[in-house]
Amino acid sequence: MAESRAVPVAHPRLSRRRGRTDRAAARREDETEAFGRRAVELSRFYGGKIETVPKVPVRSLEDFALWYTPGVAAVSRAIEADPELAFELTGRWNTIAIVTDGSRVLGLGDIGPRAALPVMEGKALLFKWLGGVDAIPLPIHVKSPEEFIETVERLAPAFGGINLEDIASPKCFGILEALQHRLPIPVWHDDQLGTAASSIAGLLNALELTHRTVGELRTVLLGAGAANLVTARLLLALGHDPKRISLVDSLGILDAERDDVDELMLRNPWKYRLALETNGGGRSGGLAEAVEGADVLLAASRPDPSTIAPELVRSMAPHPIVFALANPVPEIWPDVARAAGAAIVATGRSDFPNQVNNSLIFPPVFRGVLDARATAIPDAVVLAAARELAARAHDRGLSPTHLLPTMEETRVFPHVAAAVGDACVRLGIARHRLTHDEFFERATARMGRPAALVKALARAGLTPPMPPVPAERKRGR
Amino acid sequence: MSAAGDAGPSEAPAVPIHLRAARPTDVPALVPLLLRLKRLNEEFDPLLKVRDDAEEQARQVLAQNLADPKAVVLAAEGVGADKDKVVGFVRALLRERPFYTPEWEGIIVDIYLLPLYRRHGVGEYLLRETTAQLKAKGAGVVIAEFPAQNEIAVRFYAKRGFRPITAVHARSL
Repeated sequence: MAESRAVPVAHPRLSRRRGRTDRAAARREDETEAFGRRAVELSRFYGGKIETVPKVPVRSLEDFALWYTPGVAAVSRAIEADPELAFELTGRWNTIAIVTDGSRVLGLGDIGPRAALPVMEGKALLFKWLGGVDAIPLPIHVKSPEEFIETVERLAPAFGGINLEDIASPKCFGILEALQHRLPIPVWHDDQLGTAASSIAGLLNALELTHRTVGELRTVLLGAGAANLVTARLLLALGHDPKRISLVDSLGILDAERDDVDELMLRNPWKYRLALETNGGGRSGGLAEAVEGADVLLAASRPDPSTIAPELVRSMAPHPIVFALANPVPEIWPDVARAAGAAIVATGRSDFPNQVNNSLIFPPVFRGVLDARATAIPDAVVLAAARELAARAHDRGLSPTHLLPTMEETRVFPHVAAAVGDACVRLGIARHRLTHDEFFERATARMGRPAALVKALARAGLTPPMPPVPAERKRGR
Repeated sequence: MSAAGDAGPSEAPAVPIHLRAARPTDVPALVPLLLRLKRLNEEFDPLLKVRDDAEEQARQVLAQNLADPKAVVLAAEGVGADKDKVVGFVRALLRERPFYTPEWEGIIVDIYLLPLYRRHGVGEYLLRETTAQLKAKGAGVVIAEFPAQNEIAVRFYAKRGFRPITAVHARSL
């Protein structure tokens, strides 16, 4: 969800009553197609999206006696004697790997590692642009989760952190857990943690606006994929009563009595655990039975605006909160949800108010853990990022249509990064124990650098301007 | 077996259950539990595919075992709202070992607990009670039988001192 790597989808079940949104959807499909054609054109023109750039002066080849042999041997020996020095003497402190097997690329499915590379390059660009993080795209060809884990373990010495990306659920859970356990650096899976953290941030503010507390909520999660399973876990960490959470998947309400629970025990222990802990009243049935009287509906399921019928929103508690986060099309259109009584509506899209977007989370989270040289990234850090993001929405005035900062509010990022750094220090997982102000200043400086760099490269003519859209296509539009 | 196997180590079950010898009147309640277990086993290997007439077979086998002094069948009843509801069971068989000593072995062939009753030490309790009854019937060794790929069962028994002694390998014909 969130980052809009949109692909067009058909909406056969849209009624004529919603002709307006129907036309909007059609227009969006045209736009998506145009973006696609342009992206291929530009990818060819620039030959991909990123390159490595030296960050040291090179006055002549003689300088390589310092940057390379013989001088470099002393640098290597120093690290051999004290491996932690790798974070001082090399770029490891700011370099992460974006690792994928291409098994579940957003909007595209199981396209494999080669075809996933453009997406990972794009992600690397986002990491640099928003977080000042040097991210290396690494799609890998692996046959099993064990091979995946082993491969990343072998690559880890070069990196200060690992960002796992677009891996199918539920294998992504086992891979993340194993790597978090084995590696002495932060390992993150954005589809689980980034999305869940941004949902939680939005939810915290939605609760404030509707005068609710987590402890008294009844929450329904629609979709039991990577994001919602983690959202459920984070809700529990925030003190949500597990019995007052119901998860709904394609088979209906997840419950310990369901016939597939034994199979879940084997195939998806994360979902199995929630099957045993949640749905206290033993509700059975589907979404309709689950949402009746619920305060919150968090949907991260499938891009079909008829997934959540307006009657279901009407059956919720007064002033309900509805997050419809499927991309490119939400499970219910925001105007429909509001007309049915929803007090707060959020989606994964930037063209509606209240975009729940993992791009608000992963850049500052990595900025923070890298600046703290953290050894891990536990849920407490994820929640610290979510809380800070939620708090920063107040700066411009919290309202039902301004639930979270938008991507344009880049001043928010260093604040979130500093909150992450603080959390790492508090939890004793920071190798670099900076103060809040130091974290904030470092993050501000690092995050400001990429824009200056891109501007300088363009001004020097090193990054050529984008070639114009061919005239015949311009006329067509 | 086993689907009682993800219980943590515990002295007495935190969720109290009432464990007793199964009776012929329990058969209708035991059949669905036994079938759930066999369907779980099916997940591990195509050679453990459940037969179409498994339900009828389950009824017959359970009736036979209940009449057999060389079998131990225990029923676990819930408490509170689940009082009088069978929430789990164990089926174990006594078999002579003509060439080895100890001379009698007790084989736990089925152990199943409804998901809601797991993770509270009930599985451990079931195993302990079954073992005691098998020993009382003369068994000098207790054996657990389950699909080789069932890692959860492997871990459950390993934690409780079980080790592999014979291996059963198969291929379809």
